Amino acid sequence: MTSAISTRGLTKDYGAGHGIFDLDLSVEEGEVFGFLGPNGAGKTTTIKLLMGLIHATRGSATILGLDADRDAVPLKHRIGYVPGELPQFGGWRGSEIVAYIAGLRRDVTDNQVEAVAKRLDLDLGRKYREYSHGNKQKLALLLAFAPKPGLLILDEPTSGLDPLHQQEFYGLVRDARARGATFFISSHVLSEVEHVCDRVGIVREGHLATVGQLDQLAGMRAHRVEIEFAGMPPIERIRGIPGFEQVVVADHRVSGMFRGDFEPLLAVLASSRVTKFESREPSLEEIFLGFYK
Amino acid sequence: MTLFQLALRSHRTSLITTALALSIGGLLNSIGFAQIAGDNPAARALFAQQMELLARQLTYLLPAPAQLDTMAGYLTWRWFGSAVVIYAFWALLAGTGAGRGDEERGLVDLWLSTGVSRMRLIAARLAGFAAVAAISIAFMLAVTDVGAAIGQEPLPLGPLALEGVALWVLTIVVFAFALLVAQLVTTRRSAAGIAGIIVLVLFMLNAAARSGIDVGAVRWLSPFYLYERSTPLLRGGSLDIAATTSLAVSALVLLVVAVLAFARRDIGGPLFRGAPGKPRVDWRPARDPLLRTPVLAIVDQQRVWIAAWALGLAVLAGFLTSTTKTTVDALGSSDIPVLRAYFERAGITAYADFVGVVWFSTLLLLISLFVVAQVNGWAADDAEGRLEMILSAPVSRARIVIERIAAVVVACAVVVAVSSVAVYITATSTGISLPGGRFVVASAAVLPVAYAFAGIGHALVGWRPRGAVVVLGAVAVAGYFAQQFTPLFQWPDWVNNLSLYALYGTPMSKDDRSGLATLIAIGLAGTAVALVAMRRRDVGR
Repeated sequence: MTSAISTRGLTKDYGAGHGIFDLDLSVEEGEVFGFLGPNGAGKTTTIKLLMGLIHATRGSATILGLDADRDAVPLKHRIGYVPGELPQFGGWRGSEIVAYIAGLRRDVTDNQVEAVAKRLDLDLGRKYREYSHGNKQKLALLLAFAPKPGLLILDEPTSGLDPLHQQEFYGLVRDARARGATFFISSHVLSEVEHVCDRVGIVREGHLATVGQLDQLAGMRAHRVEIEFAGMPPIERIRGIPGFEQVVVADHRVSGMFRGDFEPLLAVLASSRVTKFESREPSLEEIFLGFYK
Repeated sequence: MTLFQLALRSHRTSLITTALALSIGGLLNSIGFAQIAGDNPAARALFAQQMELLARQLTYLLPAPAQLDTMAGYLTWRWFGSAVVIYAFWALLAGTGAGRGDEERGLVDLWLSTGVSRMRLIAARLAGFAAVAAISIAFMLAVTDVGAAIGQEPLPLGPLALEGVALWVLTIVVFAFALLVAQLVTTRRSAAGIAGIIVLVLFMLNAAARSGIDVGAVRWLSPFYLYERSTPLLRGGSLDIAATTSLAVSALVLLVVAVLAFARRDIGGPLFRGAPGKPRVDWRPARDPLLRTPVLAIVDQQRVWIAAWALGLAVLAGFLTSTTKTTVDALGSSDIPVLRAYFERAGITAYADFVGVVWFSTLLLLISLFVVAQVNGWAADDAEGRLEMILSAPVSRARIVIERIAAVVVACAVVVAVSSVAVYITATSTGISLPGGRFVVASAAVLPVAYAFAGIGHALVGWRPRGAVVVLGAVAVAGYFAQQFTPLFQWPDWVNNLSLYALYGTPMSKDDRSGLATLIAIGLAGTAVALVAMRRRDVGR
């Protein structure tokens, strides 16, 4: 396998600890690579460096054998891109934006646009300012996928999409992958990465914390659990449950981070009267707090 | 931060801009009067007589003249008659901004989600604008009075304050009207367009009445008529209580209706909704071939904007040309030494010369401001993510710079061509013979000026996007004033030569190829700097 993306000591230093530092990363051709990290970790900065939108303070990035900065223009023929922050096109119609960008690219046909627009259920006849956030995101996805590029660099691609269209997005990724496309997807949502990625890199505070196969994430899989008891909680038994960490008790309420099999937790709860039980996916920041402690 | 403070903050830039620009205007007008009106009663009377002749031709624009032999009379006619239009324009933009602009940016959702009532929100926006308008007007009046004091004819403070009250009330009326219109449509642009047309009609209504057209009692509908009824600075004049109260009551009524409309409508929606149309879904890109053509794609995106400029300049061109004969007849034979010197130094000996000097100097300023607006758009492309999206396509940064500048020149060519045709037709129909060849050359020679501004503008955008508009705007306005005031005040030539417009020369009367070559060289240098700056900069920062 050859590298689709390779960075060596890639650094963008904005000062005061902001930016991305000494990034050494390799993404193989045909791979779907997830770039995970909390907000402000340096994901978007990395993506802008890969897209040649900003210049590195030091280090280099090579994409499909070309320099990401110096060869940015020829590279763009082979890249589809979804920005992290959606642009503002005001009163333009979706169809006008697509025509304009298609005119710049010159490698996308109207039929390709129509196919993706139908899949995403995106009406191009409406004005951009009338689009919901989700529809704006769909337009960005359309612009990235329609030319059928060999590499897709997507910054938080499912932001604002409803679950139905998230599934459609996963379908687009699967189809593109089937024809050999490589993906570099940034996200701060663990479950999103689990859906589509082969391998993940985790970035925190501007530094790459780890890179590994998706199954290595299993150790990080966790739930933020909150339980409300009718009476006093069985604190000692709860603290003894394997995988239940960061336990906080306040009156009748217990909260904490839970990893692993739910069976022991449910067994303990079965002997008490529980009035409320909540379990949700924690933010990456919450996971990191536990994972790296 | 309170809502009121937020409202003040939202008007911060426009407050500084209006206060500074209008103060400079007031200062120049008051000092200018002292310079040109003469210092003895006979000279003053002569000046007033000449100005009255001119004023009679300008009743479409300015109030009826009175007591033009005094500083107060001259300023009431020449300066406050202009300033009120600028304040109305500001109020129009501020009102639509408060009514729709904030909503378009999602700020209204944010504020209402914090538990603020709609009534309180509008009240805060109104109070904020009322405060900044009062500050701007007070500052402008104070600086104008400083100019009058320098001219040895200070304005009395009491009447000056009453003039401020009249100006302020009119400004608030227009703000309230724009706020109300913003409740009826869904975008700020539509609101500004509709409110602007109605305010213009009301202005023209008063202008028509001033020019002797009988419009009957309808003129009372025009806030400009009600404003002009107050003449507190004139001898025997005063604040017209009835007219000013009418304006204040109108403002109150408009505000109440605007508040009720705001309370009733959906956020993001208009007050009245039509029946839902038949849904029609479009899956394909637009067929407009221009959108896929380099340079023309950028021009095509701005077709409405360019058409509006072309039309506006054509109307202005027609108007200025139509007043040429009477203005030259009134001023060209003037016995006032300063005016005679002005005509001589500007090389005005015939009607065609006057068209050349007045029209092309105005056109140069307006075309420069058109370029400044384009530069503002380039800065916004970066800040609003459009540049990032464009650069995600296989497009070099150099191409973007060159295409943008080329598109500006093409757009300017359209605007210049339309307005020049208007000048030519009006001149011909009023019996002024323009030398055709020279007129075409003079029109075409505007484009190197536009190119020079575009080059400098793009260099500034590549370097400091947020400051580019202010710097370039200052270059344009300062250059215009340098060019206009050098002959009037007999300043040394080097002051005039500081202006980029000096390089344009006087192509209606003689060729100046070196000036045009210099302008092109400036444009090329600006383009070169822009290419380097664009290559080096980080997008979106």
